[in-house]
Amino acid sequence: MAPAGPRSGDAIFASAERVNAELFTLTYGAIVRQLLTDLEEVEEVNKQLDQMGYNIGIRLVDEFLAKSNVSRCIDFKETAEVIAKVGFKMFLGVTASVTNWDADGTCCSIVLEDNPLVDFVELPDTCQGLYYCNVLSGVIRGALEMVSMKTEVTWARDMLRGDDAFELQVKLLKQVPEEYPYKDDE
Amino acid sequence: MQFFGGSEISPSPPAPTVSGNNANMMYVFNRNGICLLYREWNRPLRTLNPQQDHKLMFGLLFSLKSLTAKMDPTIAEKGNLGVPQLPGQGCSFHSFHTNTYKLSFMETPSGIKLILVTHPRTGDLRESLKYIYNLYVEYVVKNPLYSPGTPIRSEIFNTSLDQYVRSIA
Amino acid sequence: MIGVGKVKQYSNVLDKPLSKGKQEVSLSAFAFLFSELVQYNQTQVDNIAELERRLEDAGYSVGARVLELLCHRDKGNRRETRLLGILSFVHSTVWKVLFGKVADSLEKGTEHEDEYMISEKELLVNRFISIPKDMGTFNCGAFVAGIVRGVLDSAGFPAVVTAHFVPIEGQQRPRTTILIKFAEEVLKREARLG
Repeated sequence: MAPAGPRSGDAIFASAERVNAELFTLTYGAIVRQLLTDLEEVEEVNKQLDQMGYNIGIRLVDEFLAKSNVSRCIDFKETAEVIAKVGFKMFLGVTASVTNWDADGTCCSIVLEDNPLVDFVELPDTCQGLYYCNVLSGVIRGALEMVSMKTEVTWARDMLRGDDAFELQVKLLKQVPEEYPYKDDE
Repeated sequence: MQFFGGSEISPSPPAPTVSGNNANMMYVFNRNGICLLYREWNRPLRTLNPQQDHKLMFGLLFSLKSLTAKMDPTIAEKGNLGVPQLPGQGCSFHSFHTNTYKLSFMETPSGIKLILVTHPRTGDLRESLKYIYNLYVEYVVKNPLYSPGTPIRSEIFNTSLDQYVRSIA
Repeated sequence: MIGVGKVKQYSNVLDKPLSKGKQEVSLSAFAFLFSELVQYNQTQVDNIAELERRLEDAGYSVGARVLELLCHRDKGNRRETRLLGILSFVHSTVWKVLFGKVADSLEKGTEHEDEYMISEKELLVNRFISIPKDMGTFNCGAFVAGIVRGVLDSAGFPAVVTAHFVPIEGQQRPRTTILIKFAEEVLKREARLG
């Protein structure tokens, strides 16, 4: 079968309109601060960041598909590679790699080589339980859901919490087939 | 692919004019069968209410896709007719025409379906549908005030779409 | 561990060399993030004024940090002390860093001594927007107004900053004007400095 799309997002990123990463980073920081003020509980902020990421993911997937010319996403292994090599590059200008596949090919890790969300960030003592980058796990979950893959995405390592890398674990729960959406009596 | 061809019972519509106005209508659906956009340029006959019309169009494409995949002579393994497929599974059709119109169709892995109905003698519109998908991404998906899955109300999208469609068909 | 390669760990954010500001992300990434900022805040308010106020607040914290960053990086910690100096700093330096270009224009208000306007034909945050009729005069530029207020306030120039659409003749899309109205104390000080 022909490859489902480009092997890397370099060309797409190079030709895309870009903005200074600082505007992005500082805006994200402003969002996190707003949530901390609104929700107070760190656990709630984690949830909301994940939800916001999900909301972004279900939109962003169309930009991704339109720009990358990916025409199908059936194989989870291939899809994970495309997210890491094309997706991260195309949007954030950074590369990521896929590792730690489990035996049946339904669970893997995406390790980020750089993370523009966290420039200037250090978690204060009051926010130690915060998954600052939780928006990213939500984005992946949302985008994959739109191509009919239900996944669970969690942080395996987080440098803001003292780990040596940013590592997301992506687990495929199930692939949902296309159903006829209307009921007969509608 | 040509459907309902052969004997021409009714006369064809007038030959396409050089500049525009040969598009009849356009639909955009999401996976849940919600009609995100219906735009009409040239459709003299209407017998259905919009809801029925949208449902019929979505149903036609859904069934046709399932049928075309089922009849694919090149693939050995395929499910039974009507058994749901994963998005992107099986072959896909991109247009059919009758003696009176041509329907061009594009579906994305995210379940967005674009349908453009034009004069039967319109050429290949696959690239045009891709272009329209890009318009959708720029002006609808990235609009901070748009909620996914709701009908498109963006004036700038509609204007750009009208302009573009006039230039191609 | 595989793939950790380039990530360096710093025990403290202050040990990390301050970035030179050359890194970029795609405009889309920012557009989606900004959309979500707007969508989230829509769930927190029940009117347009309140929504704009919350976007302005978010912008304010960006502005305050941008000033810190730029003063540290570009000016050897010197800060502008004069009104025109700080305005031109916002219009050119801040704009260039955040939006990749100098703002289209900086003008003094004709009716009021304390008013200045920065205008942009296509403000980045209004680039993809299409405002439904029921949202009236809502302007996402409130976020940028907040950034400007954050910069000015942190530099010691308190002001009220608002964003407005201004129709341009013969153009489908209006331009955005950021209106800056300085606090009285700022103008008094400026007069003293002569």
